[in-house]
Amino acid sequence: MMEEQKENILISDSCHFERSREVNLKKIAWKQFKKNKPAYFSFKILIVLIVLALISPIIATDQPLYCKYKGVNMFPAFSFSNSCEIKNEDGSVEILQYDIAEWKYLDATTIIFAPIAYAPNKTDYDNADYVAPNGKQVFKDKSGNLVEMPTKFRHWLGTGKAGEDVLSGLINGTRVSLLIGILSMTIASFLGIFLGAIAGYFGDKKLQTTRGSFWTMVIGLVFAYYYGFSVRSYNIADAFATSGFAVLTQLIISLIIFSFVSFLFYLLGKQIGKISFLSTRVFIPVDSIVSRTIEILISMPLLILIISISAIAKEKSMINLMVIIGLTTWTGIARLTRAEFLRITNLEYIQAAKSMGFKEFHIMFKHALPNALAPAMVAIAFGVASAILIESSLSFLGVGVPPSTVTWGSLLNAGREQFSAWWLVVFPGLAIFLTVTIYNLLGEGLRDALDPKLKK
Amino acid sequence: MLQYILKRILIFIPTLIAITLLGFIISVNAPGNPEERMVTSAQGNGETGAQSLGQIQEKKRWRTKLGLDLPVFYFSLTSLSRPDTLYKIDDRNEKEALDRLISKYGNWENIQAYHISLSKYYAAQLLFVADTNQLKQYDKNAVLETINQLKFEVSALKASYEPAIINAKMDKVSVLLSSYPFLSSFKSDFEKVKIDYLAIEKNATAWKNYIPRIAFYGFKNQYHRWLFGDGGKFSKGLLLHGDFGTSYVTRQPISDVIYSKIGWSLFFSMLSVVLAYVISIPIGVRAAAKRGSRFDRYSSVILFLLYSMPSFWLATLLIMTFANTDALSWLPASGVKPALGYPDGASLWEMIKISFPYIILPAICYTYSSFAFLSRTMRVSMLDVVNQDYIRTARAKGLPESKVIWKHGLRNALLPIITVFANVFPAAIGGSVIIESIFTIPGMGSETIYAIQNNNYPMIIAVLTITGFLTLLGYLISDILYAIVDPRISYK
Repeated sequence: MMEEQKENILISDSCHFERSREVNLKKIAWKQFKKNKPAYFSFKILIVLIVLALISPIIATDQPLYCKYKGVNMFPAFSFSNSCEIKNEDGSVEILQYDIAEWKYLDATTIIFAPIAYAPNKTDYDNADYVAPNGKQVFKDKSGNLVEMPTKFRHWLGTGKAGEDVLSGLINGTRVSLLIGILSMTIASFLGIFLGAIAGYFGDKKLQTTRGSFWTMVIGLVFAYYYGFSVRSYNIADAFATSGFAVLTQLIISLIIFSFVSFLFYLLGKQIGKISFLSTRVFIPVDSIVSRTIEILISMPLLILIISISAIAKEKSMINLMVIIGLTTWTGIARLTRAEFLRITNLEYIQAAKSMGFKEFHIMFKHALPNALAPAMVAIAFGVASAILIESSLSFLGVGVPPSTVTWGSLLNAGREQFSAWWLVVFPGLAIFLTVTIYNLLGEGLRDALDPKLKK
Repeated sequence: MLQYILKRILIFIPTLIAITLLGFIISVNAPGNPEERMVTSAQGNGETGAQSLGQIQEKKRWRTKLGLDLPVFYFSLTSLSRPDTLYKIDDRNEKEALDRLISKYGNWENIQAYHISLSKYYAAQLLFVADTNQLKQYDKNAVLETINQLKFEVSALKASYEPAIINAKMDKVSVLLSSYPFLSSFKSDFEKVKIDYLAIEKNATAWKNYIPRIAFYGFKNQYHRWLFGDGGKFSKGLLLHGDFGTSYVTRQPISDVIYSKIGWSLFFSMLSVVLAYVISIPIGVRAAAKRGSRFDRYSSVILFLLYSMPSFWLATLLIMTFANTDALSWLPASGVKPALGYPDGASLWEMIKISFPYIILPAICYTYSSFAFLSRTMRVSMLDVVNQDYIRTARAKGLPESKVIWKHGLRNALLPIITVFANVFPAAIGGSVIIESIFTIPGMGSETIYAIQNNNYPMIIAVLTITGFLTLLGYLISDILYAIVDPRISYK
């Protein structure tokens, strides 16, 4: 019945427009965005960067794309296994380990190398000690003589101290940077949009519950935390010592237990709230809680906070860093979403939805959220830029990130040891600068496209 | 107004407590063993594994001095199976091993019995000195080696919790004990340890782990002590006297370290704020006043690029270009004064003159990002103002354009820039971590990085807390300034 009514209203609404001139906000925004040349151009570059990041394990690796050796066809760069058994003619078995094999000296029938035939953290001792991009590069041929570097093996952007290929490091660093930026902002946006939405929508005086239900829920959260995290603390701690995947699994299990227990207490609270003394209505000051939390987080120096939290984790990993950045940078998104929700909540269409008896959360996320997303999107684009900056600053300082991972920041840091190796300073820095600029331009473009009022 | 300020300060207090709590949680969970660090930093390098009695006593002293022998907080959420007294165990690894045993078997009585008999056995073994007569029959080095190995195995046993590892270690100890007849006096003691361990497995009550319980510890806890001190015996307390504890690295009081380091950081952040405002206001106003002009377009692009420029890259590029013997060796690359210090009896003016070349590059890096941000904000807010009616009125009554912009426009356009003031201040401190460590400026930023690399947590928390406090103060001040600049705003 209600659904029908709603549809009727929608139909009568849209009847005001002719079909051909139907207003599609997304299309208008996209058109606006396309008009903004710098933003559209950076959007294109971003796509190139994402593709580069996705295919980086194939285009910049020392493992060949295809290799035919003693009659066996191999695709080391594409393969998930790390070794291949090759039967010699005399019956003995030769095991070829993909990651440590000397591919460049292998007596292969045919071999096709990746465009950049070096892994980011492998060393090329023949070209060690900072060889310039245009400098003399040498190659040891199969008989052991040093000859001029063949074009296909050239270090196009030079090498580092131990002969690491800079270009390969840059290309693989793209993956790290984009991953950090996108994943940490995914966490931050979920948190920020959710918290900002409930803070702005409910304020301090709108979310009502019974006294019994409220206190049951408070106790329930303690229980949920206990069963979800306290009891399982050593499972989680051990997972941190193994792998990022294990951490994720354990955290998800903990979260499931946490939600299940809180849900049980929620049901219990509903029943308890029916008792006469406990059925008094109380307000939950959602807005105050969220605003205070934001205030606390933004009053701490972000970089120092992130470094000191990441120092707690026994194993340093990129996953940890992403989670930490995500958990500390949601405040900007939350503030903007909150402000937008404060405005939208008083609009007529929300009042109409309320009067039609929709559930609060339905109105919040189905009706209000689509209109409140624009500022959040802008904040997310800027947030990705700052997350990338944070990650590269940390790897530049060499704190809080795993030392084995090659990133733009770590390459730049290596360049500080030897200023004559300008290629170690210029190219990684340029990569960071470019990516950050792209995201900032995207953010500006989005702002202009989504909210033309703000266009200056 | 006064009422508003008072109200704001009242809201301050819970936020400040939350900030101290956050810092405290980080420090409690930090890796490393503070009292071990204190002892080893005092003695150069200490042996791990087997420890001498003197070292153990020294550690105890530091534990009391740092307050590590106290429970962590006023209360804790624990389980029915856990005792209230677990915090009293000195060694972190031992504590964790016991806690893990509890979370597996849940019967504290048995675990306690096992721990006591193991500790007794360990203490007896530490005191054991092989009789020289007994040694005569055997190779002296081999005997000493066996005894050392025994000590090592037992101390490792104390920190083990996996059944497989415990069993393996126990087997090894048994083998070692039976290698020499004069060690057989220990055998019965060790058998007791084994029996106690088996009892843990037999009487397991794992269900006790699933019943939560809140344990109260009262005011004698680390957090309370950190905030209020312990009555002056060892520490005076954070909030009341500015005592942030002892540095794990130099064993100096943290507050002394901060006093000696904060000067340069303060100097640079003040300088950068002043410079940024002085440069950005004219640029922003000019760009807005002549919207679409060449100046506006070029300055927009340059400011945007500067804004996206990572500070550590710019700093490295500047050093590479202007402080590099291979390129232009115009300026010094690091520090704030010559390595030998100022000449004796140098006046303040001479000191400034000597330090000036050192300051140029860091000052550029400190300033440029906030200046780019401020100019952009200034331009946007000025554009808002220029289109308003009262500016048209001012023009219509024939005021010169410069007066319209600089006198009537600027005052109102300053509003957003004042709110930004609160953000610039913490940004100067947070960003300084990178710049100070690149230019090796002896300020708070380098000190913080040094503290992080050395797990010097009292220092890190002090930095977090002070910055948090200053930021909150910054917000308060910017709100008050807001009211002064714009009389329309009233706080009621």
